[in-house]
Amino acid sequence: MIIGENIHKSFGDLEVLKGVDLHVKPQEVVVLVGVSGSGKSTLLRCFNFLEMINEGSITIDGKKVDPKKDNLTKIRAEVGMVFQHFNLFPHKTVLENVIEAPVTVKKMNKDAARKLGLDLLEKVGLSDKADVYPSKLSGGQKQRVAIARSLAMEPKVMLFDEPTSALDPELVGEVLQVMKQLAEEGMTMVVVTHEMKFAKEVADRIIMIDQGTIIESADPKNFFENPQHERTRQFIQLVE
Amino acid sequence: MFELISTVFEVFMRTYPGFLRAAVVTLQLTAVGVILGTFIGLAFALMKISGSKILQGIANVYITIIRGTPLIVQIMFLYFGIVEIYTMSNFWAGAIALGVHNGAYIAEIFRGSIQGVDPGQREASMSLGMNRKQTMQRIVFPQALRRSIPPLGNQFIITLKDSSLVYIIGVAEIFSLANREAAQSFQPFESFIVVALYYLVLVMIFTYLLRWYENRLDVDKT
Repeated sequence: MIIGENIHKSFGDLEVLKGVDLHVKPQEVVVLVGVSGSGKSTLLRCFNFLEMINEGSITIDGKKVDPKKDNLTKIRAEVGMVFQHFNLFPHKTVLENVIEAPVTVKKMNKDAARKLGLDLLEKVGLSDKADVYPSKLSGGQKQRVAIARSLAMEPKVMLFDEPTSALDPELVGEVLQVMKQLAEEGMTMVVVTHEMKFAKEVADRIIMIDQGTIIESADPKNFFENPQHERTRQFIQLVE
Repeated sequence: MFELISTVFEVFMRTYPGFLRAAVVTLQLTAVGVILGTFIGLAFALMKISGSKILQGIANVYITIIRGTPLIVQIMFLYFGIVEIYTMSNFWAGAIALGVHNGAYIAEIFRGSIQGVDPGQREASMSLGMNRKQTMQRIVFPQALRRSIPPLGNQFIITLKDSSLVYIIGVAEIFSLANREAAQSFQPFESFIVVALYYLVLVMIFTYLLRWYENRLDVDKT
């Protein structure tokens, strides 16, 4: 679904990604872990071209993307992204947030969009909040709306950039529950998170990124019980 | 003290028909200055964020010149530079000068509020597949406009008071009337107290309306 080959990304003199290869299969759930500054969020942002890679290539759904020639807007529409800070549109109601892109980008008619929006809100358990503004929601509710908003574009893959890091501890569960449900429905997902319990339960594969390279890639059982790399061992000790 | 109040009152009662007419002129000057300034400001703000070096350069030159010179000089410049060449009333020369002057400040207000919108909003919009134009129109501008209302309100109040400078080219707004009244009646102190009160009342009305509008926006969207 996503193939990243030899991805290099620098910000000025700082090389954040130093030749990353990552192949995400359809319906696979990949969890990226690593200490802050390791480059995991940057990698995620490269996958929907919020950051442009300096070297290497990204293939999405069998199509190699050329950022200079291809219509990135179209590609982004197929790759959903959920942000740490939700980034809901504060001037629009919850339902308007969800249907904004289908109406504006896909030119979906209002009634169909409304139905889609309400269905998605029901899926994330927020039907009753359709007409309120985001400022009235808790963090967990905001993030669930953000997930519904992303799903409204029927993306082929969903990227999650630390979706629970900005939440109070008691609100983390409801967001992870929605993500787990998505994974069970067969959504292809790449998740940057510090929630090791979620990684253990939901991930097909856990990938450890350290200083801009992948140092460990294994299924959860092997990742936690039999890590190959010293840095992974240290990381696991740190988070458990 | 009582004597002063009673003479001020006496000047007020004697002059209010003229002052009310002149106040209308002041409000007209302000309205043109604000509306024209808003259009000019929007145009230059868009130039500044356009990403084009040439457009940015033009906007920067305009803003630097206008902000770097006194309004009264700009009024005189426009009056002698344009009214002399094209036939234009003093009123319009003054109103346009106010608009051109305001445009530079309003451009900075708009630019600031556009750039002040959380970059995450743009990213979220782009990540949903909206293009740059859709992102600007539907996500960034509506939020920027909301942010710009308090500073725009301030700028409107400044314009209302700045319109007094147009007296220099003989537009019959309230300050010029006060000036004439002061000279004719030999009661300069009372005359200027009266005109100060007019401005004060107008500014208070403006402030109240703006506050009301800001509150209404807040109630709607939170």
